[in-house]
Amino acid sequence: MEKEELLRQIADAVVEMEEDTVEELAQQSLTAGIDAYETIDLGLAKGMERAGQLFDEEEYFVPELLMCSDAMNVGIDVLKPHLKSENVSKKGKVVIGVVEGDTHDIGKNLVRLMMETGGFEVLDLGRDIPPAEFVSKAEEYGADIIGIATLMTTTMPGMKEVVDILANKGIRDKYKVIVGGGPISPAFAKKIGADGYARNAADAVKVAEKLLGNTDLALGA
Amino acid sequence: MTEWKDEMTAIERMTAYAKGEDIDRLPCVPIVGNTAARVIGVKVSDFRGNGELIAKAHIAAYKLFHYDNIRVFTDLYTQAEAMGSEVIYPEDETAYLGQPVIKLDPRLSNLDEIDKLRPADPYKDGNLPEHLKAMRIVVDAVGEEVPVGGAVTGPFTNSSFLVGAENLVRLTLKNPEAVHKLCQVSLESNLRYVDAVIDAGVTPSLTDAMSSSTVISPRLFRKFSLPYLKKLIDHIHDKGKKVTLHICGKTDGIWEDMVKAGADCLSIDNDADILKAKELVGDRVMLMGNVRPSETMLEGTVEDVRKATVEVVRKVYDSPKGFIVASGCSLPTETPFENIHEMLNTVRRIGNPFAIKDATSIVA
Repeated sequence: MEKEELLRQIADAVVEMEEDTVEELAQQSLTAGIDAYETIDLGLAKGMERAGQLFDEEEYFVPELLMCSDAMNVGIDVLKPHLKSENVSKKGKVVIGVVEGDTHDIGKNLVRLMMETGGFEVLDLGRDIPPAEFVSKAEEYGADIIGIATLMTTTMPGMKEVVDILANKGIRDKYKVIVGGGPISPAFAKKIGADGYARNAADAVKVAEKLLGNTDLALGA
Repeated sequence: MTEWKDEMTAIERMTAYAKGEDIDRLPCVPIVGNTAARVIGVKVSDFRGNGELIAKAHIAAYKLFHYDNIRVFTDLYTQAEAMGSEVIYPEDETAYLGQPVIKLDPRLSNLDEIDKLRPADPYKDGNLPEHLKAMRIVVDAVGEEVPVGGAVTGPFTNSSFLVGAENLVRLTLKNPEAVHKLCQVSLESNLRYVDAVIDAGVTPSLTDAMSSSTVISPRLFRKFSLPYLKKLIDHIHDKGKKVTLHICGKTDGIWEDMVKAGADCLSIDNDADILKAKELVGDRVMLMGNVRPSETMLEGTVEDVRKATVEVVRKVYDSPKGFIVASGCSLPTETPFENIHEMLNTVRRIGNPFAIKDATSIVA
């Protein structure tokens, strides 16, 4: 099979949520000597990107997106041991979590997935995370972006607290803060002094890319 | 503060409205949940296992604001908790789900655990007896003047609290049979609970957050949620009660199904277009909604609340089967009292909806 054809089929299998097919085709790609990174980037991630588009267009919903990501992860498990270390160049580092008092993490998990497939290195703090921990972990990890999610109106003030802690420590400019989740609006993001608002998981990747892109411009890079 | 005196009690108003008779103002329900704790100055966690306190708070909140429906509610997890799931009670915030009762492994290989689930006994399990007690006290105190509802979490959403939301949505595609089992046992819990709620003299009020099209497609809703909702609603109808159904987030693709399920009133979230709901299903069901609970009611000024209330009344006051001015979802605990007062006062200033000539003449 042609390389392009194989990669296309891998992407299709991710979109179609077919774990077994993904596993089989990923093996084939290794046998055919295709670079593992290329298979991830142009096969698996491409498929996940299309799944994200379908989610955006309300063709796919949360269950479908989760199943696509399950299929993608099966492929990654096959390919990961064969990755050469030089091609793990990443777009940026992200710490992400759900704010304290909220344990709904479907949305956050989707964002993590989409960010990872979008080429970001992601440290997932989990759910029910105190504001100070977002900051300490971001410092430890050397993050570029702090992503904060909540599905509950009751926990929204915790988001502002993260921004305030950054400001009080004089490290606000080191990070781009992106907020999102059910009750969050662009107006709220602006009000608490966040840098970005992500409407959904697919949007989060675009917002992150844009924000880091702007940083480069601002730095003259 | 309440600057305008109502001329009718909530029950008089709702009864007259249903008959198409004159009313002093539109019914208005800012959906007060744990904000009731703030009214009597207690911590949210004080409600745990204390039906008397829940009742005291809801009675006090009603007497402060004079809205048209009391919904005895603390959180969505009471039935799942009674079936064995862990609920975490922060000191002064709304409770949330801890470990679900069924702990599925990532490969979903222990699905037979689901067979061990048993429906909850409303008179024995978890905090259900205290909620029933709260309902009885509220009805005794103010049931003559205001309709009282008891919150019931729908079968599909309750199922998500039994295995975890992410597992449930995976199972919808990976193992439909497991989802049906979960919904069936949740329905059985629901049926027992609504019987007890009705025996307490209260009307069950259904919330089904996970059925939202923000989470599952309308197709999966019809497959997994609708059949059980319909059975639940049929049962409540058999007992002579009407049903309000709230599904969070986007729902326009399932309004027809919510009507088919038998709901008498749809509570429309602020993420959905209530004007479109009026056009599509307003001829068959009453509508309530959908002022933004967080942006407007929690964060907004009194002026913002007034504007949003006028706007929603202009859109939906003439909905054929009636309209209740409401928040799009439960209000956040810290919603300022003056914003809740303002929603009601705006509706009071607008007055009798039948006297309105056209939408542009609605001012407040």
